[in-house]
Amino acid sequence: MWKFSLRRILIMIPQLFFLSLLIFVLAKMMPGDALSGQIDPNIDPARIEELRIQMGWYDPWHQQYAAWVGNLLQGDLGDSFRFKMPVTELIGQRIANSFWLSVATLIFTYLIAIPLGITSGRFNDTWKDQLITGYSYLGFATPLFIFALVMLWLFGFQLQWFPSSGSIEPGLEPGTFEYFMSKFYHLLLPALSMALITTFSTIQYLRNDIVDTKQKEFILTARAKGASESRVYNKHILRNSLLPIAAFLGFEITGLIGGSIFIETIFSYPGMGQLLIESISLRDYSVVTATTLLFGMASILGALLSDIILSIIDPRIRIK
Amino acid sequence: MSKTNLTKWLFALMLAMLLVLAACGDDTSSEEPEKDPETTEEDPAGEEDPEDAEEPEDGLYSIDDFATTKTNEGTAIEGGTLNFGLVSDTVFEGTLNYNFYSGAPDAEVIAWFDESMLYTDGNFTFTNEGPATFETEPYETDEYPNGVTFTFTIRDNVNWHDGEPVKAEDWAFSYEVIGHPDYPGVRFGPDFTNIIGMEEYNAGEADSISGIEIVDEKTLKITYKESQPSLLTGGVWSYAMPKHIFKDIPVAEMQESDAVRKNPVGMGPFKVKQITPGESVVYEKNADYWRGEPNLDQVVLKVVSPATVVQALETGEVDMVDGFPVDQFVDNADMSNVEWLGVTDLAYTYIGFKLGHWDAEAKKVVMDPEKKMADVNLRRAMWYAVDNNAVGEQFYNGLRWNATTLIIPPFGDYHDPTIETPTFNPDEANKILDEAGYKDVDGDGIREDKDGEELVINFASMSGGDVAEPLARYYIQSWENVGLKVELIDGRLLEFNAFYDRVGQAGEDDPNIDIYQGAWGTGTDVNPYGLYGPDQMFNFPRYESEKNTELLVEGNSLDAFDVEYRQGIYKEWQQLMVDDIPVFPTLYRAVLIPVNNRVHNYSIDYGSTMGRHELAVTQEEAIKHED
Repeated sequence: MWKFSLRRILIMIPQLFFLSLLIFVLAKMMPGDALSGQIDPNIDPARIEELRIQMGWYDPWHQQYAAWVGNLLQGDLGDSFRFKMPVTELIGQRIANSFWLSVATLIFTYLIAIPLGITSGRFNDTWKDQLITGYSYLGFATPLFIFALVMLWLFGFQLQWFPSSGSIEPGLEPGTFEYFMSKFYHLLLPALSMALITTFSTIQYLRNDIVDTKQKEFILTARAKGASESRVYNKHILRNSLLPIAAFLGFEITGLIGGSIFIETIFSYPGMGQLLIESISLRDYSVVTATTLLFGMASILGALLSDIILSIIDPRIRIK
Repeated sequence: MSKTNLTKWLFALMLAMLLVLAACGDDTSSEEPEKDPETTEEDPAGEEDPEDAEEPEDGLYSIDDFATTKTNEGTAIEGGTLNFGLVSDTVFEGTLNYNFYSGAPDAEVIAWFDESMLYTDGNFTFTNEGPATFETEPYETDEYPNGVTFTFTIRDNVNWHDGEPVKAEDWAFSYEVIGHPDYPGVRFGPDFTNIIGMEEYNAGEADSISGIEIVDEKTLKITYKESQPSLLTGGVWSYAMPKHIFKDIPVAEMQESDAVRKNPVGMGPFKVKQITPGESVVYEKNADYWRGEPNLDQVVLKVVSPATVVQALETGEVDMVDGFPVDQFVDNADMSNVEWLGVTDLAYTYIGFKLGHWDAEAKKVVMDPEKKMADVNLRRAMWYAVDNNAVGEQFYNGLRWNATTLIIPPFGDYHDPTIETPTFNPDEANKILDEAGYKDVDGDGIREDKDGEELVINFASMSGGDVAEPLARYYIQSWENVGLKVELIDGRLLEFNAFYDRVGQAGEDDPNIDIYQGAWGTGTDVNPYGLYGPDQMFNFPRYESEKNTELLVEGNSLDAFDVEYRQGIYKEWQQLMVDDIPVFPTLYRAVLIPVNNRVHNYSIDYGSTMGRHELAVTQEEAIKHED
């Protein structure tokens, strides 16, 4: 198990290297730079040119890349040109928001998926199952960004049950109970929107597994021993079926990253996803590369996590 | 068994085909020619709600229908909180100091807590109404025969938020920071190098700026090499920064410091109480404000996305905004809880003709008589061929309208409405083209160039907004109507960054672009030299002529302090641009600002002296929209 994990982590290094190279080259290939937005007759073009040279944007890309990697290894992600502050500090401000949003989404996803999946699997081919399957197909077919917009329109604007933008009510003291509640209140709607729509895979996965497991011989044995129906389901089937779901967690994290880009933009929620989109459109290179790299790392780590959990659960899966 | 299999396969194949067909169908529909707005006779009045008295019969609006100052209804209460929406699809960067900010959202945030030392009037000229007053006297030496010395006197009761008086050294400090070799911002430029001793200071050769003298605690003297009218319209850097706070911070690190990002101190009517980075700022009143104690207790500024700004206004979540997406106005003109204010924007849209290239060595434009667009008759015919009034009415409901000259109407003293400019007349366009030798030789309905060779004009236009595409198509269609074949470069619209890269913001013009559609925000200085001067990078048409240079230089000379003389010069220049047509302006545009009915004392008039300390509200909660 340790050997396996270590090997996986070692594989990550070249993966990350290629990822960073790809990100860097692609970012530099985008037309324009952070200063092309400053086309304004009141600003002297000579000054802009001077700044471009100062920033080293005219150096050959491999030099820029080497400098970037050099700083990266020392934990320095560079300065954001747009925000005029270190990228690490900037990401520090945003990552907490994204983290809590992801945690809330995950919790909601499982809160919805597990009961529905179990009901659906246990009573398969009844009307309950069909209802739940219908819901999960609907979730499968609806694009996240449309659904989120509808949620925002309905609950944010029509009913006004939830705030429609931001991560916190202005003017609250950090650290107080109100502050915490306001944070939670602000992330409730985005998290729910994402959970409601991304939960379908987990529901289906769980359902199929339960349907599968309940025809296994050991369940027959359990029944033959005279175990009650609820004991059969809660002890024997559920335990077995939940394991692959746990292994699915890593991939769930990867999916969350993609989703957060849409969700944060739609709900004007200042997290990493929103930061990435804005930095791309305003050509803030250092932030684009840093956030993409972090997202990439999270994905790779997520996959690793899944593999590790799987290898613990199912000893047959071992990469040699 | 095999039969079912076959049916299944067939079914899957059909499904796949269906998808392909659907995709194709989409494509063809988008390639259909756009309707010509000029020939589309719609009757929008028929669809409208008859009860709605505010909307005009024809669905068209005019900038003249909008007030610039909010009507006060009811009586104002004492105190209260105003919610201000910063409309932006990005967060604000949080560089909260006039000397360092670069994004427009930051400027809005700063404007609540800091202000200019000099106020301006309706012509954007400095007045003596602000925190400081000024006098000028000529400065004549052998080296600088046309110099000028400004003597600024700061009023006694102007204090920083921390109680320290605003001193001459604070203002001088701004210059020392911006001129410093380590200064990382964008402000440094000709306005600064025009100060005596600034270049030496900027090069690190001098420790101080010889042209800036602190006479006493409240008096500052700045001497400029060249006396120019532009100095009075924003050419003097009029923002001070608190030296007692910044003096120990190295210049290169100032913009990252807490004094800029977390606890900015200004001298405006409101103090910063709390900042949530990128999202919101809470201000409280500055009772010590030099113009008097503000009426409001508190102002909350928050970022509102353009997609949701309407709802935020309707629900009273925000009372007013810094700018409203004008294309959403028509659908929301009947919003019951706001009053709409409007002025002409300091901007114009234009079509530019590429007439040369940028010489990076000599840092000037070079005209090239071989260019496709080199014949002024071709350019004039293209101006005659487009109907900008129809564009304004059909695409913008009258909230943009036909532009005439390159000096926009808000510059009331200098804009000349009497100049006759080509307006839509396809017959005239055809006549000009025939006479100039652009004839249809091979009879395909498309004109060839003067040598009978095929003429295809490549058009660069920017993407963004719903009307970008139909608008570009309309122009292409209009030119086709007079026999000119114009094609979008690469067959599509260009994204903002790519567009300006290829048009030449770094001097590397794409030689394939023949014409382009761009827009300029003019700022508050009427002087067009920065956009049309021969040594200016932003002279994208790469146009120059002796007359042009002469007029532009003369318009900003010592003699031009005489308004009448300057008017004459700029009138001549506007006429020259109509004769030479390096670019032709297409549209002027309106800025619309919705203000909640509970808000009092607000004006967006350019010459307004109403301060933010006068803002008041009539009730604690914002008024909500009722259907």
